[in-house]
Amino acid sequence: MAKLVPLLAVFFYLVCVSEAVFEDQVGKFDWRRQYVGKVLFASFDSPSQSSKKLFVATDKNIFASLNSRTGDLFWRHVDKMGPEGAVDTLLVNAQDALMVIGDGRLLRSWDTNVGGLNWEVVLDTGSFQAACFVGIQDTVKHVAVLKKTAISLHYLSNGHQKWVENLPDSDTVKYQAVYSGGGEEVFVLGMVPHSHLTITVYSLEDGEIIRQRSVEAPWLSSVESSCVVVGRGVLMCVDNYTQALYTLAIQAEDSPQFRQVLLQVNGSRYLRNLVSPLYVHAFLKKDDSVGYRVLVQTEDHALTFIQQPGRVVWTREEALADVVTMEMVDLPLTGTQAELEGEFGKKADGLLPMVMKRLSSQVILLQAWMAHLWKLFYEARKPRSQIKNEVTIETLSRDEFNLQKMMVMVTASGKLFGIDSKSGTILWKHYLENVQPNAAFKLIVQRTTAHFPHPPQCTLLIKDKDTGLATLHVFNPIFGRKSQISLPALPRPILQSLLLPVIDQDYAKCLLLVDDQYKVTAFPSTKNVMQQLQEMASSIFFYLVDSEQGTLSGFRLRKDLSSELIWEVVLPTEVQKIVAVKGKRPSEHVHSQGRVMGDRSVLYKYLNPNLLAVVTESTDTHPERAFVGMFLVDGVTGRIIHEAVQRKARGPIHFVHSENWVVYEYWNTKSRRNEFSVLELFEGTELYNSTVFSSLDRPHLPQVLQQSYIFPSPITTMEATLTEKGITSRHLLVGLPSGAILSLPKMFLDPRRPEVVNEHSREENLIPYAPEMPIRTEWFINYNQTISRLKGIYTAPSGLESTCLVVAYGLDIYQTRVYPSKQFDVLKDDYDYVLISSVLFALFFATMISKRLAEVKLLNRAWR
Amino acid sequence: MASPGGQGSGALSTRGGVARRMKWALELSLGNTRGRGDRQSNQGDVMYPIGYSDKPVPDTSIQETDKNLVEKRCWDVALGPLKQIPMNLFIMYMSGNTISIFPIMMVCMMAWRPIQALMSMSATFKLLENSNQQWLQGLVYSVGNLLGSALAIYKCQSMGLLPTHSSDWLAFIEPPQRVEIMGGGMVL
Repeated sequence: MAKLVPLLAVFFYLVCVSEAVFEDQVGKFDWRRQYVGKVLFASFDSPSQSSKKLFVATDKNIFASLNSRTGDLFWRHVDKMGPEGAVDTLLVNAQDALMVIGDGRLLRSWDTNVGGLNWEVVLDTGSFQAACFVGIQDTVKHVAVLKKTAISLHYLSNGHQKWVENLPDSDTVKYQAVYSGGGEEVFVLGMVPHSHLTITVYSLEDGEIIRQRSVEAPWLSSVESSCVVVGRGVLMCVDNYTQALYTLAIQAEDSPQFRQVLLQVNGSRYLRNLVSPLYVHAFLKKDDSVGYRVLVQTEDHALTFIQQPGRVVWTREEALADVVTMEMVDLPLTGTQAELEGEFGKKADGLLPMVMKRLSSQVILLQAWMAHLWKLFYEARKPRSQIKNEVTIETLSRDEFNLQKMMVMVTASGKLFGIDSKSGTILWKHYLENVQPNAAFKLIVQRTTAHFPHPPQCTLLIKDKDTGLATLHVFNPIFGRKSQISLPALPRPILQSLLLPVIDQDYAKCLLLVDDQYKVTAFPSTKNVMQQLQEMASSIFFYLVDSEQGTLSGFRLRKDLSSELIWEVVLPTEVQKIVAVKGKRPSEHVHSQGRVMGDRSVLYKYLNPNLLAVVTESTDTHPERAFVGMFLVDGVTGRIIHEAVQRKARGPIHFVHSENWVVYEYWNTKSRRNEFSVLELFEGTELYNSTVFSSLDRPHLPQVLQQSYIFPSPITTMEATLTEKGITSRHLLVGLPSGAILSLPKMFLDPRRPEVVNEHSREENLIPYAPEMPIRTEWFINYNQTISRLKGIYTAPSGLESTCLVVAYGLDIYQTRVYPSKQFDVLKDDYDYVLISSVLFALFFATMISKRLAEVKLLNRAWR
Repeated sequence: MASPGGQGSGALSTRGGVARRMKWALELSLGNTRGRGDRQSNQGDVMYPIGYSDKPVPDTSIQETDKNLVEKRCWDVALGPLKQIPMNLFIMYMSGNTISIFPIMMVCMMAWRPIQALMSMSATFKLLENSNQQWLQGLVYSVGNLLGSALAIYKCQSMGLLPTHSSDWLAFIEPPQRVEIMGGGMVL
């Protein structure tokens, strides 16, 4: 009997080796959405209406081309994150798109048709100010780049520098704009704030200064923000204080002067709107009337394209390029399913009513089934193209295996999305106004869909980083509507929150909010909840980690909802810094309480639900002295269960804490490589107390096993698969910088892997230890659908034990399913029903026919 | 008495020859009645000489030596299971301890046969009725069968098919209830 388990394990191992997607399965269970981020620069391809291309450069350092008819991406180039890849400007001229990148570090030219790079040159140092095309008449051959102290001219064809000149008086004059009027001259506009504007004219041929002019402008503070060149060399400037408009002819030979244009009173509002990101494309229609198209970037990071009569052609939700946190919520049951559930949920009230109830629900089911059949029949007559499988909120219902869920995504811009996990359709969106850009979010599912007729309830905790004050947004995750629930007043800064398994009479879990005086606010705070809280107060603990102070502190709740400090661990900040803390996921189930040894005894797992994995990094970054610490701390008692220090190592550390193991990855500074390390905790061959786990009554420390491996690639994020009952073997989902997600069997990260194989280890099916961890391309769950700038992976169990739903987010969003032990509980989707049933029918008829033939033959023989 | 093979060939010859054309035929010669005989052998009896019987005639005269023979026969029956044990041991040794289809089949056979024999003890006792040492023989018979089943159990044990280790009950251990509720994290 015990041998069957390893046999099964071998079976699973063998099948999981062949885990990959077949060509015909591409896009069947998975989808990817690509985003570009908030648009900084946009440009239309050509002045005609026929062109389909739009070019955008975004705050995520992306240069992309969009289809103006559908809003889809033609191509996209993802540059480095941070200021190194920041786009300074985008200029488009026919076939060439020019970009200045990284505060004037690089000048790039792209082919707009195919999105290929024409050339790239490194510019001289100096902070970038402006750039423009320089052309004689209408043929553009050069590009001028203005830096703080110099101006350079480059050929458009190959990027070579034609000339570079230092700007005169660059320590007093701020040069902020460059302009070419189509002649042999390049105009550079500089200014001394609140004094005058200078116009320096350079010769296109050799870069000599032809003339210098100075214009009095005491009201001008910045050319960049309040001036724009219109038409042929007319500079228009706004005086923000008097709200006056000035014009200036730049190309004038003699000394130019600003002319004031009188404005109407309401003109100021109009002027302010100019600065908002609005890209207008005006063109001449066939009948010579003027048409326009507008690309609007709104505050909630939505990109909308509008055509002339005010028709919205498409909208891109670019807020999804920056997902902060997410949750997956089960879809509600349909009416009939809910009816059945209700029947089993209610208490028995006599035999006859129960029978009647059962019969009535059966009738309802029959009705639903008939309606379904009728619909099938009705739709079968229609041509296939007319049937649309559009997902709307109204038609949403849980499927048979609970594989379709609602993804609730919170984005950095404060916009919430509800996305159908099967198709990727955005079903609802809700923009939260007044959310600070650096706010911290925590999304909590208070009530799931299981408590019909109570609607599911999610709570988003938004904490303002500056004031520390928090606000709650309570909503229905299926419809996105804000719930009309009285929210608790939160006058003090909130430090943390914890979700209790305490349920009020409406089945909503109780959320505790801890403020800076370590007092607790309960939400919801009904009488029922308060009573339960007072009863349970002595067994409710919470911990807070302050990485600035380097303290871990544990608190116990008092009956009056204040709390007492019961333990404190100080990790001196001069030596090391707490980087991250992770407990276990509360939804995690562990099926097997131990591991079977080769001699058929059991090594019991140390499954402490209160265990915390605390990761520290040394403040000293010298390769010889840097270290990484992993502390396993009991969150109730503060006892340090285990302490592992990795010398000559540094972060960034990615780790997963689950069941009885912690897997973490770090950079080994001595060997210059990435390494995986795994810690596993075992209680031993005897269980101390098999019925109840209390951290306060655990006299023995667990046995800790550790092993390390070399991993051939850096990683960006890591998560473990999760299934409903925890029977399926676990895999680690490792996000690589290339955008691939590697599904690495946990079997490879097992500290019991032996160096010398013996009979017992063979019996246990342990893989012999090898320092190198393989990366097999067939383990990539997202084949060629790479995810740019992968930031996080979210896993959720489905109704099928074999299946785990995976959502990876970063710049792109990718959803798929993984089967760590293959699909052992369901027939595969490519199962050949036709073949099997036709064989069965054929055999059946063959039997019937041969029976008949045999009878005839017997009769004939009898007559002989 | 004709052998079945001979009858078969006879039937073949008729099928190929005369019988095909006629609906029915009555033949009085010996060869063809034999042909029928394969189906209804009772009819063939008519043709045997008078006084010939198919069944052996039981010898009803009981003699003194027969008593010993019965005794011997009964002991044969009683010692049968014990005699099988060395054979079983050999099979056990040969089949090894790996779990695959053939060893499993053998173990099943080894386990099932003694159980079957023990269940049909009454029938065996009826066989041993005539013996003087009926009870002793019955005891020996059951002991032999018990030994056989013990051997099968031992085999199961050595193959690891018996739930005797704690690991076999691992799947039934419920996860422990947690007493304390804990939560928290980094200061937001």
